[in-house]
Amino acid sequence: MDLLPFFQWMGSIPLSTYVLGHTWPAPIVQVIHLVAVAVFVGALIVVDMRLLGRGFTARPLADVARDAQPWLIGAFILLFITGLPSLTSTALKQYYSPFFWWKMEALLLGVIFTFTVRRKIIQSDEARLGSVWPKVVGIMSIAIWTSVTIGARLIGLMG
Amino acid sequence: MLESSISLREAFNFYPWLLTTHVLFTSWFAGLIIMMDLRLAGIGNLSTPFSQTQKRLFPWQMATMGLSSLTGLLLFYGDPMRFYPSFYFWLKLTLMALAGVNAVVFHMTVYEQALSRIEAKLTEARSWVSWDFSGVVPFEARVAGFLSLVLWASVIITGRMIAYSALVPQWWLDLGLNN
Repeated sequence: MDLLPFFQWMGSIPLSTYVLGHTWPAPIVQVIHLVAVAVFVGALIVVDMRLLGRGFTARPLADVARDAQPWLIGAFILLFITGLPSLTSTALKQYYSPFFWWKMEALLLGVIFTFTVRRKIIQSDEARLGSVWPKVVGIMSIAIWTSVTIGARLIGLMG
Repeated sequence: MLESSISLREAFNFYPWLLTTHVLFTSWFAGLIIMMDLRLAGIGNLSTPFSQTQKRLFPWQMATMGLSSLTGLLLFYGDPMRFYPSFYFWLKLTLMALAGVNAVVFHMTVYEQALSRIEAKLTEARSWVSWDFSGVVPFEARVAGFLSLVLWASVIITGRMIAYSALVPQWWLDLGLNN
């Protein structure tokens, strides 16, 4: 399936022409996106560290995860909202960037993993998890989301 | 012009990778700081005592700050004349210094006093213990938490804005640092 016409259409919608026709929308959207990245990473990493036996070890895993959840979800929604105008206003650049597709594939994997496997593990009774699975899940989570960050940053730097 | 500075900048794809690494480490550092500050501000991670968010995250905050600073220094070293005339670069350094001062002042005042009260087993310790475990954080501590959140968010924002060298106040351009 060729998505080129879809990306051409995204580049022509009013949101894109508005962002491109003004000076401040693009940088404002980008800086909000980045602050949301920091909150998202924080909410993700305290739980992943807990899975690896680091950080908030005095609290049960499920408590740490429950505390982090609203910040994870909230930041993700903010990332999505600010990501849209960034994507549509540079749609063709994104379409031709290998790093954009790298980011999107890693992102899809990250979302599926976080809301299925990882979610099940962090809500489980720790005593029944054993010592191996939490560590595997924690490392996979960090690895997948790190590859999202790397792909994302390289779109702007290496095309 | 130092030769190693030029070769660092021109090495095949090294600079983009260096910037990417800087962004990655910075996001880890900022994330860990934010998770502690949310607790201090009384708006997040409330089931973990503040003293634990501080103690248990501190080594990781320092390690990621070290990696972030190292990659940041290399970025500066590889292209100093890009940063020297940059309004947002100097603003970012100032904000980082302010965030550091905020953290040190909080530690030396509110936090130290609270910890020493516990050690001295004074009666006031009860209030410290209760704020460590509850969401009811003293006003001074909340201020430190919110200030830190705002300052570090501003550091991220100004860091990204370095790329927009034209979107700066006219008086800055009038300084003529570009010449």
